[in-house]
Formats: sequence, C-alpha cells, structure tokens
Amino acid sequence: MNTYERIDRDLSDRDFTVVGKSVKRSDTLEKVTGTARYAGDVALPGMLHAKMKRSNVAHARIRSIDTSKALALKGVKAVLTHQDVPRVLHAGSPHPRSASVTRDQYILDDRVRYWGEGVAAVAAVSEEIAERAVALIEVEYEPLPGLFTIEAASEPGAPPIHENGLDRNHVLPPVFVTRGDVDKGFAEADLILEREYDLGRPTPAYMEPNVCVSQWDGNGKLTMWTSTQSAFMVRGTLAEVLGVPLNKVRVVVDHMGGGFGAKQDLFQNEFLCALLARQTGRPVRMEFSRKETFLGGRSRHPGKIWLKQGFTKDGRIVAREARVTFNSGAYGSHGPGVTNVGTAALTSLYRCENVRLEGRCIYTNSPIAGAFRGYGVVQTYYALDLMMDEAAEKLGFDPAEFKLMNAVREGDIAPSGHPIVGHGLGDCIRRVMEETNWHELRRREKPESVKRRGIGIGCEMHGSSAYPGIKEQGNAIVKMNEDGTVTLITGTAGLGTGAHTALSQIVAEELGVPFEAVSVVQGDTDIVPWDIGAFASHTTYLGGRAAQLAAADVRRQVLEHAAPLLQAEPADLAIRDGFVVVTSGSNRSIRLSEAVGPKRGMPAMQLVGVGTYMPTKSYSFAAHFAEVEVDTETGEVAVLEVVPVHEIGRVIHPIAAAGQIEGGIQQGIGHTLSEDYVIDLTDGRSLNPSFVDYKMPLSMDMPSIRTIILETAPDPGGPYGAKGVGEDPIIAIGPAIANAIYDAIGVRFHHYPITPEQVLNALKSKANETRQ
Amino acid sequence: MNRLVSMTVNGEARELAVAPNRTLLDALRNEGSLTGTKKGCDVGDCGACTVIMDGRPVNACLVLAIEAEGATIETIEGLQPSYDQPHLLQQKFMEHGGAQCGFCTPGIIMMAKALLDENPDPSEDEIRFALAGNICRCTGYTKIIDAVRATAEELRKAGTL
Repeated sequence: MNTYERIDRDLSDRDFTVVGKSVKRSDTLEKVTGTARYAGDVALPGMLHAKMKRSNVAHARIRSIDTSKALALKGVKAVLTHQDVPRVLHAGSPHPRSASVTRDQYILDDRVRYWGEGVAAVAAVSEEIAERAVALIEVEYEPLPGLFTIEAASEPGAPPIHENGLDRNHVLPPVFVTRGDVDKGFAEADLILEREYDLGRPTPAYMEPNVCVSQWDGNGKLTMWTSTQSAFMVRGTLAEVLGVPLNKVRVVVDHMGGGFGAKQDLFQNEFLCALLARQTGRPVRMEFSRKETFLGGRSRHPGKIWLKQGFTKDGRIVAREARVTFNSGAYGSHGPGVTNVGTAALTSLYRCENVRLEGRCIYTNSPIAGAFRGYGVVQTYYALDLMMDEAAEKLGFDPAEFKLMNAVREGDIAPSGHPIVGHGLGDCIRRVMEETNWHELRRREKPESVKRRGIGIGCEMHGSSAYPGIKEQGNAIVKMNEDGTVTLITGTAGLGTGAHTALSQIVAEELGVPFEAVSVVQGDTDIVPWDIGAFASHTTYLGGRAAQLAAADVRRQVLEHAAPLLQAEPADLAIRDGFVVVTSGSNRSIRLSEAVGPKRGMPAMQLVGVGTYMPTKSYSFAAHFAEVEVDTETGEVAVLEVVPVHEIGRVIHPIAAAGQIEGGIQQGIGHTLSEDYVIDLTDGRSLNPSFVDYKMPLSMDMPSIRTIILETAPDPGGPYGAKGVGEDPIIAIGPAIANAIYDAIGVRFHHYPITPEQVLNALKSKANETRQ
Repeated sequence: MNRLVSMTVNGEARELAVAPNRTLLDALRNEGSLTGTKKGCDVGDCGACTVIMDGRPVNACLVLAIEAEGATIETIEGLQPSYDQPHLLQQKFMEHGGAQCGFCTPGIIMMAKALLDENPDPSEDEIRFALAGNICRCTGYTKIIDAVRATAEELRKAGTL
C-alpha cells in the first residue's frame, strides 16, 4: 500500500460531523473533467497575444532599443519599452503591513540586473507574430560588471546593483538575534562543532506557467485574470503603479496551477499586459513559456550558513552561533522576510538558551529568489538538524533520542516570541521511532555491498502564519439562504491545496448543516472580502477561523429567529443535521428552511455573518524518517521509504492534509538530491531552464510514503485547534535524507543537492583516507 | 496560411482551421475551445497535454495539427459518459485526492485511461512507469497511484473496462 492516514486523536473533546472527514473536495469535479478555468483558458473576442523581450546579458545599461522593425511587422499592434511605461518604483512582493518590503523594481528599467529580465513587450494578433516581433527588437547594451555570488557582491567596494541600495549590496540591514550569553555557553561546552553549509537554488516549478489576460472596459476599469496566490496584492500594486484607484482594478483567479509561494510576486507581465491592453483597446493575453517561467520566475534563496554549537557531555546544547547569508538575486522580493524568518528559526527547534544569530541577504546579478514553501527555514533547519545528527554521534547518543532530548516543548519561546503550545515535536519524534522500529533498524547488520542502505530522521517546526513579520487578516462572509443552504464568500485563494473544501467543512460544522449545503464564492476582488493571500501555511488557520467566526455569527441569528417559533430561549437551541432543535427538556425541532424561509406575508430572512480574524502565531511540528539506498558504483541515491509524522492540531480533511505532506516530500527530495537551477558564473546565463535539465523526482523516483498525522497540540487560535501543514513537510525531509546517506556510507555532506558525482567523489576520498 | 484539418474529437467530426506549423495542442485549445488539455511546457517534457490519438497516448504539443488529419482524438472533455456522471477514473481521482492544483490532472487521467485500456490489471510499478512522462508537482504521486489502482480494481470487479 502506497499511503494511508492514521490519525491519533488524543484530544477529542467533541464529536465532529464534517470536520475531520475526507469529504469529496468541492473543486475536484471541475479539475478531473477539464472544466476548471485557469487564467490561461480565458479567451475573449478580439484578444491579442503578448510576448516579452528578455535580456541576454546579466548586468548592463540599455544604450538604445530599436523597435522599428518589430512595429513594421504585419499583425503587430503595440510595442512597449522602458520609455513608454510609467516609472514607479514598487515592491516585487508587496505585502501590505509588512515592515520589510523592498521597493526596488520598475515595470521596465533602462538597466538590466539579471539574465532574462524583461526589457520590452509586444502585442500582436497571434502569439507567433508576437514572438517574431520580439526577435526583431534590437537592444544595445553597455555592459556592467556581473556580480554572481554573495562573496563578489558583498565585498567592500562592490559596485551597487541598485542605485539607492545599502552598502555592499545588502537587501536589508543585517538581522541580529541574541538570547542569553553565548560566550559563557561555549566556555561550558565539552564539544564544539563548527561547519559551513552551502545551499543550492531549487525553484518551485509549478505546472502552470505564469499567465494573465487583461481587459479594460469603456469606463476605464481593468479586469485581469491571472495566476496568483495574492489577488488583492496584485490589485493594489497594479492600481498604485498604473495610477488608478482600487475600484478600477478587478483581479480574477478561478483556479491556479500551483504556486508554492512564488506566485505572491508580480512578474512584470501583469503591468505590461495591462498597459498593452489599454494602448490597443483590445484584450491582451500574455503567457510565459516554460523557459520564461524559469528565467523570470522565483527560486528558493541559495545561501551559506555558518553554524557553531557547543554541547555538553550529557547531551545539552549550551551555545549556538550562526551567520546566515542568502543570495537574493537581482531584486529584493521576499529577501527581508526570508532572512528574518530563516534566521530567527535558529532560536528554536532544539532548545538552547544562548544564541547569537546574524542574517544577511545580498543582491547579485542572478535570478530572483522569492518566496518558496519553507521560506528560509528549509535552509537553516537543514544545517541545524544535520549538525544535531553529527553531535549525537560524537557524544555517543542515538540521533533520534538526542533530538528528542533537545526538542522544544510547551512554554519554550518560539521564534515569533510566543510560548509554544504542547509537546508536538517530541510527540512526532517518539511516534516516528515507534512506527519504524527505529532502534531495531539501527542495530541491523550492514553488509559491505555495492548498494548500501541507511536510515535517518529529520525534524522541523513551522509557523501557521507570517506573524510577527506581517500582521495578517482573514475575512469571510457567510450567507444563509431561505432553504437553509449556505454561501461562503471568502478572500482565501485556492492554490490547489483544498482550502475551500476545508473552509466549507468548518462552516458546515459550525452551522450544523451537511457539507454539500455549503457553496463557495471566491477568486474575484470585486466580490470577496479583502484577503492578504494564500501563503505562510495559513489558509485553514486564518481563512478557516474567519469563516468559522462568520458562520458562528449566522448561527446566532438563526437561533434568535427560531427561538419564538420553538417557544424556547436561543441558548437552549442548536442546529443539527439541518434542523434547529431544542436541546433541553424537549425534542421539539423545525427545519432550518422553516426557521429562516418566507412565512405568510413575510419575506425570507436575510442572514449574513461577517468574520474577521487577525491571528498571532501557532507552530506545527514534524519528524520524518527516510530510508535511502546509495549505489556506491554510480553515486545515485534512491529514497526507498519515507514515514512522515506531523502534528497539526486538528485535521480538517485528512486526505488533503496527507496530500500536502506527500507533495512537500516530493519537492524536498528534489532539492536534497537533484534540483538546482544553475547559472553560469562567468556570464550569469541560466544553464537549465527546462524540465529536461532541471531534474525533479517523478513517478518512478518517488518512494512509498506512510503518512501519520497527530492532533496532540491543538492551537487555541485555529479553527477547532487546526494549524498549518503546507510548508512543514519540505523542511523535515531534507535532513532526514542527508542523515540517512551518512548512515549508509559514512559521509557527511554539508550542502544540497547531494548529486551522484559528489557521492562518488566523497566515497573515493574516503577510500583514499582509509588507505593512508 | 491556415489549412482545414478534419478529425474526430470526442466522437464529433470537427474541422479546425490551423496554420501548418501549429500543434494539435494549440488547435484543440484555441480553434477547438477544448481548454481542458493543458500547456505546461510545449516541448514534450511534462505530459500535461496528453490526449489519446487513434488509441494511443500522445503529447499533443509534439503532434502537428495537420498530422491529425483523419485521426480520432480523445480529450479529457470526452471522458464522461454523460454530463452528470463522471468516468470511473474521474470519480476515483476525486475520492482519493488525486488532483490538487489540477493542472496536470487531465493529462494524467488520459494517460491512465490509455494504460487501463491496454492493461486492465497494472502493478504499482506499471502504473509508475506509465506515468513517468507526466509531471505532477503537488501530490508526490501517492494519491494518483491510489486512484488508478482503485479504478482498475473496480473495473475488474465489474468485469468490464
């Protein structure tokens, strides 16, 4: 059996009717029948097709652009260069209320900062003509020195990549986090380990290339269909940069084909598509090719982490010092957020009272790093967990027991500054050990064969919101119709995780109606309440809680209306299975439709509830077991089995939650073993912008996964105690694999991806050392 | 210069006017208004555009539209026996959570159909092999494989395919 879910419900305080059941997801009928409409499926009468001209240098000033040949091509309707578009400095990922946005982008600039940056755009009657016109645009560049590494860009005296940027190409002032007395801690240590970890450049590689369609109506209002996780941020930025009020921009997202964090940004295309549509007076569609989706997309931040920790003989961590340096690429995007979150994460996971951390983020002339599932924590916990494994061995502890001994627990201060609720991490580690017969497996004989097996455990924790970096807000409107059915109007975007199903389950549970009685209105900024976007593992936690509050508001109104009909007090009423029932001393009941529907001479009641939720923070936890097989002749690492144990407070939809975990594991196996978006360090050119050359684990590579979900530490802030799950799996799997590789072949790697070539070289050097 | 290409799409005779250098994928999506078939890469790497052509699964982005002259094409839109009844594969993908973002789903379902048409009792390895050219980035494939296996089992029980 490939997968199953088993839920430990240690804290069942009530029986649920809809929550916790794998109901049929409300969005999948459209998806499996091909009727789901994605932005790229929108076709409008008279629609033009747009394409972007991209730079073939990494760093240069634009001396001139000659568009005459492109404009002369039959079928070309408009060409835009930096001379034709508004020059408004804006943030690539404009989180409102975030203290750390970086305003460093123009729609088009007279300078390019990375290979593949858009320098012009064409609209034509067909995509093919637009492509031909793009090739006819002649750009003359005045080259500037390319700074491709964090070392080159942050050297004293390095030329600035952004005119008004900070010294030495820093995206933000360095982040410092200090707790306790690190020097004293190191003085008490019996063992000090110091390592540098080097992290590659995986990209989200969502299946749906970036695409948008723009249309202006006769009243000067723009409608944009686009693939985004944060429709209201797209609306806000378009309005700001194009100089129109918010009520003149409508952003529509019916379905989107994955985002994994990266689709919080704007990608030049939204502005250019809108401007081309305004200039031509016709709808315009702009779709990236897969190559462009690599070139103009967002990656995880590559970087270096220097980590030093002091341990005592009895297995405590007494000091932790780290310098985290991320490569932001050409623009700031999520650099500030990732640096803050990734650095602060090192205060936690494994307990240590004395920490001194420093985080930096550096502009380089390389592809833009942005938000990607795991948001800085993938990198820093990879380093932290690998060092824990190494320390355990040196101190004579079992690595899993050592992690359990040091696991954060209830009341410890989390990276956000909040006390941790429950003992989720310890629960996960204990469960993963039980489930896999960890100690027995560790004692297993290891034959000196060509293919060697090893096992490892990796741990993580992750917040279910972006607080305190961003003060988030979720909003929902719930209406009950006169037949007792319900409409949920939510700002929460649907990335494909099943969020709208989970929200509907929460509303159904709260209102005592069947799941099928709830329908969802979403994805249109003119209709739904404001929402910050779908990211930070917060859709169920934040949007779900807002929906729950709105539903509770409607329930209160229903009970007030039903009370006189049932000759009871509202406090003695409940809604169950679509009936309003008297709960004490009587079994009187009426159908919901009778309670709220029209009566003689009276129209139906209009029941509307509104919910607004501003969360603080909760943390979810995971421990992953991985078994690998290393081929000592080819260097190839196969992941044979993964057992992920996640503690997520309350499971709303088990299959959807497990699906998040398994998909995260897939992407995490990718960045640990094969995925790396590589640039040529001599000229900044992208070397593998295609699915053939950017190697992701596919059906033949994916191991069997036995998913286990715990509900042992529900969060009082989440709906029914639910916390997030989206990002957690991708953080834990990497260290589990690297630790398992060590167990198999006795080589500790301090980087990702760990490629077959490096495995072979490491085995060779190890053999040489042994010989000497 | 556009050419008229005749083909049978989901049981219906269609004539699509396409330029000789355009692909079957573009013809289906643009001229045929059948947008259920997705464009994930346009170069045959991802399988999102898988359709069944004369009984065999193909990447519609690697077939020129004019090559489909006279061919019989099945797309995701033609799979349902009737408007209110999804195909068994579609039902099983819904039940088992085989679709997340859904962008790869039509291609994967068509590939799974082609597999089950050939081999009604595939092993897990055979399913994984059949789907080797279909990239899914959301699910880790676990639930897709569950859905295909469940379909095969039910079809065997029913004694029909």
